[in-house]
Formats: sequence, C-alpha cells, structure tokens
Amino acid sequence: MSRFANRRTALTALAVAGALALSACGGGGSPAAKGEDKPVDSLKFYNDKGGWKDAFVQVGAASKKDAGVGIEPVGYSDSNAYTAFIRSSFRTKEKADLFTWHTGKELEDLVDQNLVAETTDQWTKAVADGNIPAALKPYFTYDDKQYCVPLNAGYWVMYYNKAVFKKAGITATPKTWPELLAVADKVKAAGVKPFYQTNILFSFVWFETLLAGKDPDLYDALATGKAKYTDPGVVEVMNDWKKMIEAGLFSDPGSKTEPQSQLKNGDVGMINFGTWFSGSLNTLKMKAGTDYDFFVIPNVNAALPKTSMIFETGPVCSAAKGEHSSTVTKWNDWWVSPQAQTAWANARGDLSFNPKAEVKDPSLASLNKDVGGEGYRLINRWFEATPVPVATKALEVFGAFVTKPGDPMPGLQKIQAEADEYWAKQK
Amino acid sequence: MSSAVRDARTGGRAAPLFGLPAVGVVALLLYVPFLWTTYVSFTDYDGLESPVWSGLTNYKAMFSDPDLIGALTNTLLWVVGMVTLPVALGLVIAVLTYGHRWGTWLRLPFLLPYAISGVAVGVIWGFVLQPDGALGQALGFFGLPGASTGWLQAGPGNTLMMIVAVTWQAAGVNALLFVVGLQSIPAEPLEAARLDGAEGFRLFAHHLWPQLRPITTVVIGLSIVGSLKTFDVVWVMTQGGPGTSSETLALSMYKETFVLNDYGQGAAIALFLSLVTFAASVLYLRYQLADGDSR
Repeated sequence: MSRFANRRTALTALAVAGALALSACGGGGSPAAKGEDKPVDSLKFYNDKGGWKDAFVQVGAASKKDAGVGIEPVGYSDSNAYTAFIRSSFRTKEKADLFTWHTGKELEDLVDQNLVAETTDQWTKAVADGNIPAALKPYFTYDDKQYCVPLNAGYWVMYYNKAVFKKAGITATPKTWPELLAVADKVKAAGVKPFYQTNILFSFVWFETLLAGKDPDLYDALATGKAKYTDPGVVEVMNDWKKMIEAGLFSDPGSKTEPQSQLKNGDVGMINFGTWFSGSLNTLKMKAGTDYDFFVIPNVNAALPKTSMIFETGPVCSAAKGEHSSTVTKWNDWWVSPQAQTAWANARGDLSFNPKAEVKDPSLASLNKDVGGEGYRLINRWFEATPVPVATKALEVFGAFVTKPGDPMPGLQKIQAEADEYWAKQK
Repeated sequence: MSSAVRDARTGGRAAPLFGLPAVGVVALLLYVPFLWTTYVSFTDYDGLESPVWSGLTNYKAMFSDPDLIGALTNTLLWVVGMVTLPVALGLVIAVLTYGHRWGTWLRLPFLLPYAISGVAVGVIWGFVLQPDGALGQALGFFGLPGASTGWLQAGPGNTLMMIVAVTWQAAGVNALLFVVGLQSIPAEPLEAARLDGAEGFRLFAHHLWPQLRPITTVVIGLSIVGSLKTFDVVWVMTQGGPGTSSETLALSMYKETFVLNDYGQGAAIALFLSLVTFAASVLYLRYQLADGDSR
C-alpha cells in the first residue's frame, strides 16, 4: 500500500468521524420508570432564568425557614437549551421536582402526555383563600383540571428614563395615544430615540402593543386561529408600525446593547416591557421613581371600553410520578402564600400574582391594585398566546420588518401559511 | 520470524482487548446517536411522544421549504468564502513572512485570534459591525461613506461580513500550516531555480506553489468541513436573521430541533448536512490524493 493510500484511509476515517459527530446532534432516550414518594428537605428548582439566581436563593432560604423545604436553583440562561433539557428529562428516571415553563401550547404539550403533576386541589384552596386571582386560572387549566402554580405575573407597561423626559421638557405621562406620540416627538427632538426596538426575540412587542390597543378581539381571534394574519385589521396595524419606524421613533433594532443599558444610558427614552424589567433596571442600580418609572400604555383606539393590558404569567411545574411529590406539594402550598410572595416580589423587585403580597415598590404596588379593577382587559402576551411554529415564523418576519420595513403583505402571508399548516393539524 | 517476536511487536491476541474501551466509548457516543438520528429523521417526533414513522416526509419538506433552500444557499456561500478568503490570506502571510528574520513575530498577530472561541469572535465582531458600532463610528470619524450601513441587517451582505470575521480568525492558523508546508520543501531545487533566475512571483508560481500542494489539500479540506458546519459565529452575531437571511443549515438544524421541537425535521437536516460534509470531504480528498498518487 502506498503512503498516500494510508493517508487516504486516515483522512477518510476523519471525514467519517466529523460527519458522524455532526449527525449525533439529534437524539433522545428511553421512556422512564415510575417513582415512589420519598420526602426530602430540599428540592431542585430547574429554571431558564439564570439571572434570577439571587432571588431564588433568597426564596429558598425563606421556604426552608417557614416550611422546612429549601430549594436548590439550577438556572439556564439559554431558553432553547433549557426547553430541550426539560423535554428530554421526561424520558429518563430523573424527574424534575420543580421547573419553570411557559403557559399556552408548551404546557398543553406536557399535559397531553400526562407528564405534569396535577394541582387542582391546591388551586381550589388558593383561589378560595384569595392567594391566586381567579382570572389566572384559565392559563393553568386543561379539561377543567389545573396544572402547575404561577411563578410570576407581569403586566406590560411603558418604562421611561426620567432624566430623558426632563431633558425633553415632558412634565406629565401620556394618557392617550396621540399624547404618547407627542411625547415621542419631544424625546426625538431632544436627540434621543423615543422607543426601544429589537430584531431578535422581542421583535413582536410593538405588533402586540399596536394590535391589542387597536382591536383586542382581532388579537384574540388571531391567537386561536379564527382570524388570519392577512386580514385587513392586521395589515393596517403593520402599516401603522411601518409609519412609526419610518418616522424615526425607534432605536436601531440591530443593536447588541441590552435594553436596560440603553434606557440607563439615555440612548432610548421609553421601553415597553413586562414588570419584570424593574428587576433588570434595579440590577443596574437604577432607582425606581427617581431614575426610571413607568406608565400604562394608552389604547391606540380611544373608543375601546377597557384599557388593553398585556399580561404574562409563567408556571412552576413538577413532573408527574416524581419521587418527591409530597415535598413538592408542601413547597407549592407555601409558595402561593402571601408571606412567600412578599419575599419573592421584593427579592426580584417585581410584582407578585398574589394580590396580598406586600410589594415595596409603590408604582408596582398601585399597578397591581389597579389592574385587578374594572377598567382593564387582560390580554395574554403574544408569545404565550401564539403556537410555537407560528410564533417562530412570525418572529423571523417581524425581525426582518423592523430592520427594513416594506410592504407587510409577503411577510404576513408567510406567517399565515405557517398558521394554516398548524391549525389544520389541530383536531 | 518467531511467533514470540511477532507477538512482542504486534501485541499478539491481546491487542484488540486493549482497544475495546476506546471502541466502546466511540460506539456509545458517536455511532449509537448517529443511528438513532438516522432513524428519527424518518419519523415525526416531538421529543415527548414516541417517534411515529413518516418515511421521507421530512426530506420532502426540507427541499420544498424556501427557508431551508435559503439556508443551503448561505451554507454554500460560507464554503466558497472559507476556501478562498482565509486560505488565500493565510498563503500570502506565510509566503511573505517565511524566511524573514522577524517571520515568527510578524505571523504572531495573525495567529492570536485563533486562540479565541468562535463565540467570542462573534461577540467582538458583533460590536464592530452593529449599527453605530466600531466600524460605523470609525467611518463616520474619518468622514467616509458607509457610516450608517447596517452591515448585518440584510442578506447576503450579512453572511459576507461574517465570513470576513471568521477570516480574521482563521487566516493565521492557515498561515501556520502553510509555513509548515514551506519548511518541508527541500532547499536544493529552490536553490537551483534561483540560480536559473527564478525569483518573486515566478519562483512562487512555478516552484513553491506546486510543492505546497499536500498542505493546501489539508487546509482546503479542513475549510470545507468547517464551513459546512458554520454555527457559532452566526448564532452569536445574527441568530440567522434578520428573518432567515443569514441562516445556515446548522442553524436550521438547531432551530427545527430545539426551537420548534420538530426532532424529525432537525434530524433530517443533520443527516443531510453530514452526508454533504462526508461526500465533499471524500470526493475532494480522493481527487486530490489520487492526483498525488499519480505523481
């Protein structure tokens, strides 16, 4: 054999190995065994909120003290890796004691497969005790049974940099849509980009804001496949959005700088985000009420009877047939209590789903009180309300649109094609 | 030769036993997942329920989905980009610095980026190329055009800019490989060529370049395989966006599997990509080495 033939064999082997390694990126496992109940004094708490570690540690110490059950947070910062990890864990013997998840289709997937522990009794008690508002129940209900408990509840409001507003000569927060646009113009005149926008993941935010504030019925119909992305109402919203982009009201969507830093540096004047954003701003040592504050986003359509309030809630679930189910139940009971929620909300600098929790931040506390009233219509956040394949396609389309807005129709047709395919598969 | 001597040289019958653990590990970590992925690619599988056989559905979907065709086009762009830019630049650096008194030091700045991970390269270049990033600010400062260009905001320009970023990282190591190739060229024929009056480009084109062939084969082979698998830099810099304008097949594989939970479709892309990588490597190497054999 010539030395070239030898080398050829070696290189071919290398090529095979390289190609195989690439293929081994897929995978799975074997179905799992069933466990017995073994009480423990600490539970592993898997989550995709790596940045919230300190708050989880604080809450773990509180639950250890109050209920005798601690938590050990295992945080992921990449939500895709986290989702894949949790999904594959169901095919192993290791059942997750506690794990954060998403409401909507993603939770439904797990419930359909009987992978999540039922929490109907705890819900019944918590609602009766006033620890969880009944309005949250639908997000956790499948076939009249409840699963998981709420981790958090966030309302989407408009955060603003107070120094920027002062510089722009703005003395009062806007109460109507025209007032909001006038405020944006003033911020722009002061040399600051009025609104934050990004082309990655959160590219749906303005679509959601404009549609929910203009036609919330259409928004809900879109989420359930009863309306089409190509309907005139949706096209109109896209064109409104385009006008705002072309008017220079948004920050550069390709920026790699984190939104909280952009607000702190005064690169942008306003950012609409969930109330969890308070926690992100506090981490940067911005003071609520002094450096930043927020206001309720007024409806685009002034004729609507109620203010559309985008709302999100995430669940804490536990695997069905887990080994520590009695301990999980004990921890869940503690978790929904006002005492636990007061500790949690203040550790995060955020709201709580429990109206009895004592939130220190006065703006958040008053928002929590107001939103429970009659003047608001809660709208499920688009990300949870929209099925995953449709949302993924739409995020691509929105990402391209905010970067270079053109005729919205081709993009909307792409989303609708995905939606048609998805809803056709549903029974 | 006595059998005792032969046994001592070859390890005798016990030799395969010593290889077993390594073979076992490779089988467990590579062949089993590969076979599983192959099976999954012919099924409808969401990672929760058991896979349901669906035949060629995933493969048909792959070649009718405009986004995946776009990803295939971008991947080919990466291959072309990576076998030209970093290879050519590496060769130029190697030839210009080889034999120079300060050659090692001159090559060092080009080699340093290779010590950085692809993710870090993505982050650094992300800051350079983002709107109002370092490049935009520099152009603006010198009053040059292009200060407000969105380098990563539209395809295929964004892919080309990312190829430039990876070239910055890969050129140095290619230069190093070429230097190794240059060192292996015997001095006498070059001396003879110089005496015959060959110098500069002629010396390079007629004497150096043909003798660099083996190492060029390796460099290009590695570039082909590496570029077909492009993931990290793109993931960090654009996540395949805006829209799907800079998506590569490796990104599509990730997205289908881990974002859309369509493990079957992801596995089909993985297998297709593996076959393309394998075919490209084997065809290229066989062609090159067969050529080498005939010399």
